[in-house]
Amino acid sequence: MTAQLSNPQDVADALAEHAYLADRGLATVLHLSLTLEKPLLLEGEAGVGKTELAKVLAEITSGRLIRLQCYEGIDVAHALYDWSYARQLLYIRSLEAGTAGGDAHRTLHELFSREFLERRPLLDAIEHDDAVPPVLLIDEIDRADDEFEAFLLELLADFQVTIPEIGTITASSRPRVILTSNRTRELHDALKRRCLYHWIGHPSLEREIEIVLLRVPGVPERLAGQAAAFVARLRELDLAKAPGVAETIDWAQALMALGQEELDADVVDATLGSVLKYHEDVERVRDRGLRELVGEARSQ
Amino acid sequence: MRAGDAVTRRVVTFGRILREAGLEVGPGRLQDALRGLDAVDLTRRDEVYHALRCTLVSRHDEIEPFDAAFAAFWERAPRPAGQRPPDLGLEMPNDPAAPPPPPGLGGEPEGVEEEPIVVPLSASPEELLRERDFADMTSEELVRLRRLMDDLAGLRPLRRSRRLRSARDAGTLDLRRTLAQAMRTDGVPLERSWRKPKLAPRRLVVLVDVSGSMEPYARALIMFLQALVAPDGAARHVEVFAFGTRLTRLTGHLAGADPAVVLDRAARLLPDWGGGTRIGESLAAYNRNFGRRGTTRGAVVVIVSDGWERGDLDLLDRELDELARQAHELIWVNPLKGHEGFEPLAGGMRTAVRHADRFLEGHNLAALEALADAMRESGSGRLARTG
Repeated sequence: MTAQLSNPQDVADALAEHAYLADRGLATVLHLSLTLEKPLLLEGEAGVGKTELAKVLAEITSGRLIRLQCYEGIDVAHALYDWSYARQLLYIRSLEAGTAGGDAHRTLHELFSREFLERRPLLDAIEHDDAVPPVLLIDEIDRADDEFEAFLLELLADFQVTIPEIGTITASSRPRVILTSNRTRELHDALKRRCLYHWIGHPSLEREIEIVLLRVPGVPERLAGQAAAFVARLRELDLAKAPGVAETIDWAQALMALGQEELDADVVDATLGSVLKYHEDVERVRDRGLRELVGEARSQ
Repeated sequence: MRAGDAVTRRVVTFGRILREAGLEVGPGRLQDALRGLDAVDLTRRDEVYHALRCTLVSRHDEIEPFDAAFAAFWERAPRPAGQRPPDLGLEMPNDPAAPPPPPGLGGEPEGVEEEPIVVPLSASPEELLRERDFADMTSEELVRLRRLMDDLAGLRPLRRSRRLRSARDAGTLDLRRTLAQAMRTDGVPLERSWRKPKLAPRRLVVLVDVSGSMEPYARALIMFLQALVAPDGAARHVEVFAFGTRLTRLTGHLAGADPAVVLDRAARLLPDWGGGTRIGESLAAYNRNFGRRGTTRGAVVVIVSDGWERGDLDLLDRELDELARQAHELIWVNPLKGHEGFEPLAGGMRTAVRHADRFLEGHNLAALEALADAMRESGSGRLARTG
């Protein structure tokens, strides 16, 4: 069975057991989301662990993770259900070949039965017979358009959907919902009102070192400390895309694979690409003086 | 609930303070906050803080005012004088620190001379208004102008969306409809239905210079922008920023029926109104806080400025370059361009020439019509490139 999650400390402990170090704020908010059964809207820079939180939540509650990746133009047929038209057509053909002049009404009924229904993530999350409520991750909701947001709003209000040919389906137990947004646009207020809101920032240096040590088993402690300090320093520069924790972890893995015990300027220069994803940023950091930055990180 | 009523009262009062600070805190949110407090340890500051924050805050830029209010109300920290961020649009009639409304709003007696009429006598008053320089207009005329602007602003640039709509001619096969029709012909799909990409409004980002040299035009332009933002459906496809020496996001503050109120509010929001210009730094702030997060991508970006840069031209060059590379189209509107003998001499203008896709005038309504046309063309003319 899953860990008891009766207060924020329990939640933080359970997350930590699955290698996710959450600060008190995030643990409190997640605890409230579970207790009040409200969806949790997470915003923050890329690579701070928004999506990861949903994955780990599924693990600690031993629920199934159902993920809906949003993109522009996503609609009900992609997110909720669709009919399998090809199979329906084939079925009609096979009926014609077999019994000519069957009961047309029954045929129609059969054609729009569950057998021909293609289930998409949202239907999966609502109509489930799991013992534990699944975790529904609605990822990058800001990429979907207004129409989809309005549809989602309705769905999150009462967790039921109506399929005209089949009827209304209501969730037997509400899924735990996490929405993430990169804030490319402001979400509709009504949608936000349904959710608890939390902003995940970059972690403190100490916390980031802990995260690297936890996520990259076997990494030398000194290397983890210096890498985290270097990345923290990069975030202070005016970069097009400041590296997130995800980048620090990738980089620490790369450095370890190269057998580094600590940072040195040449290796940093060679591996800068796993931390910075824009050419201009790499240039800017080099202009700023790589040796100097590495020196600062080493003196941490 | 522990200490039930007292906590409820405190939270309700706190909600009122937050509303005053510009946060949208309704009864539903307060109820969530109370339920939230019930579920945490009330003796722990961080848990109380986050229980209130996640239920009462819904936007990243609300966190700062929330923190200030939290400290003031729950921890009795003295509120530093003048610490209230001006970006909140607070209504503070008795605040001595609030800048006075911009000159010229309450009618400007001096400098308004009867203009010699050079247009044919048959021209309608609207016709006259169209050609009149914004700088010479009285506030009354500006308000009349607003009606004309409303018509103009209804037209928006379009882009091809990934969402499909029904179409008459061949596109993507609409299986659902084709099958439904086939039922009528014994399951033989005689008639086929099609779907095609729908056209959706393209995002529009407008950056308006409100520095001293632009002041006569900024009022009219802000009215034009209000007309753009006002239709509520379109609101989320338009982003408006004002800049002088720093950048202020105006989008949320432009909604409101009365242009005079909006102008007044804008003037209070903008400590820069009528001040100097740092275009490069302002664009850098825009790129850093909005552009890189995706606001610019695929958008039509309109910069309204005379290009009198008092800051670093290299910086302006870099930031414009970034902006132009991400935007669908960069349109530069210069109200001074409409004046005879204009040459792009201002250093900033010469930099802008290298990056902007188009240059337009912006000194009167006729020029804004040209701008509206340009925005529309920009949307439909290049479908193939972004679709």
